Amino acid sequence: MSLLQKERDVITRNEYADSFDFDEIEDFIRNANKEMFISHHFKKRDRLLVQPRGGFPTYKKMFELYEEFMKADIDVLPLTIDSNTRLNDYAMAKKMLTLSEENEMDMLNGYPLVNHGYRTTRKMMTHFNKPVSLRHGTPDARLLVETALASGIFEIEGGPITYMLPYSKNFPLDKAFLYWKYVDKVCAKYSTLNEPINRESFGPLTATLVPPCIVIVIQLIEMLLSIEEGVKSFSVSFSQNGSMMQDIVTSNVLKKLAREYADMFGGEDAIINLVYHQWMGAFPRDKNLSDSLINTNTVIAAMVRADKIIIKTRDEAFGIPTMQCNAQSVANTKYTLRTLKGLPQVHDAEEEENLELEVRAIMDAVFNDPADTLWRKVFNTIKSGLIDVPFSPHIINNNEVITIRDESGNIRIIEKGKLPLPDRCFAYEKSKVNLPESKTEVINKIIHDIGAML
Amino acid sequence: MKVVTGVVGNDIHVVANRLIDISLQARGFEVFNLGVNTSLEEFIDAVVETDADILLISSLNGEAEGWCRDLQFLRSEYALKDVIFVIGGNLAVGEAAQSDIIPKYKSYGFDLVFHQVDLNTGLDEIERFVKEKA
Repeated sequence: MSLLQKERDVITRNEYADSFDFDEIEDFIRNANKEMFISHHFKKRDRLLVQPRGGFPTYKKMFELYEEFMKADIDVLPLTIDSNTRLNDYAMAKKMLTLSEENEMDMLNGYPLVNHGYRTTRKMMTHFNKPVSLRHGTPDARLLVETALASGIFEIEGGPITYMLPYSKNFPLDKAFLYWKYVDKVCAKYSTLNEPINRESFGPLTATLVPPCIVIVIQLIEMLLSIEEGVKSFSVSFSQNGSMMQDIVTSNVLKKLAREYADMFGGEDAIINLVYHQWMGAFPRDKNLSDSLINTNTVIAAMVRADKIIIKTRDEAFGIPTMQCNAQSVANTKYTLRTLKGLPQVHDAEEEENLELEVRAIMDAVFNDPADTLWRKVFNTIKSGLIDVPFSPHIINNNEVITIRDESGNIRIIEKGKLPLPDRCFAYEKSKVNLPESKTEVINKIIHDIGAML
Repeated sequence: MKVVTGVVGNDIHVVANRLIDISLQARGFEVFNLGVNTSLEEFIDAVVETDADILLISSLNGEAEGWCRDLQFLRSEYALKDVIFVIGGNLAVGEAAQSDIIPKYKSYGFDLVFHQVDLNTGLDEIERFVKEKA
């Protein structure tokens, strides 16, 4: 028996999980309908796939949510996991699930997949026969992902950096790298049986004035870490940042460099897709304005030529949306996309050159770290502040980078901290903004820029 | 002047915390920022360790009350009567009036309480309070 298989036996032997029958699971995946694989849909690339967020505690309510989504002609179903499962607290999830079932009240903010088990969940997944995306935020997602794959969920979101720096204060980053290495290995193993399992990174990060060069670098790194383990289908992503031009520039550079670095690291045969998130910051409290923001986001998703869009709802400012509101948002987005024809291809040579230089400089700093493996190089680079995510709550993050918007809404770096940006790039960034004289005014402008869409 | 700051409890909302940090530095304070997810005991330890003049606790998720009730006790336990204790942010779950919130938190041992107050207004008031005390 391989070392990996021994490890998998230990991980999956858990009192709250189904007993895993790996031979049966392999058979299931080998014979699963291709429609269930998002990688199969990405290959066709005939339309922009639309995916909402959503998860309820009970099987019954989850099933009803999927029925609502199907009526709205959804492309990709979401499975959002509850917060206890994210922290591997299956005992609490079980208790809350029981209470939810007995009282017909939602005591969890998502679907406790491990407690439901793969044998039950698979019935739902094969019933709807659609690609499903696992959305969570779990540093140690090993058992969760094993259960998801066995259930027929063939897209796994997350990564050691993107599910860590925005979501945790002190979970050990080195452990996160190793746990996600396991996830990638298992996804790669199953990818040989049928269509590939898709892995997706989470580009929005803290969703607060994150400069495009940081987003792209982290997307490229998580892509390379997955490819290193044998993943053949990967989605890089980013979210609307407030300037249509900067979103297009980000997309052009991200697409170009993702392909280039993937090829350079033995991923010539890997399919790379682009996912666009609708605005991830604070939403207006006026629902009509929210509708308008969502609609504009959809146009930009088409302009950046994304392969998938992850959408918001008009209830965004008010908490978890109802099934109907969520389904309505899917239908509206699909309508907007149907009406968009003959979009022009937009480029901005100067901006793209500057962004590309910035990304390459940081990537070079990662590769020049003397550590022996890629994940250790990345670990050291984050520790030393060469990669720095604005507004990350994690203690390992350097938190020296300060950004602000220019007159067109582009996010510009005004304090680079330890980012290894070339002098001309940093000069270019600073030349785009007229900073107020006093520090207090600068801070007021930052506060204003964070709430740009209110 | 030395300020210890951070977000209390199981609260991961970091944006305001970073802005408070930057704003305090811009106003010339020496800042010890403990970040998000910080317990009251950790705050007190940091105040003792750094010999801070001000403890500025923030909270956004509305759950601060449950975490701050023991302040009075800790304050006397450690003989911290010269330290200025401040709390600000969103200090209640759901809607609440300032006239209810402020006396309640003052009774827990805070000198200044800012419920849904603009950052700069709060910091101006802290500076005024410091000056009057001196």
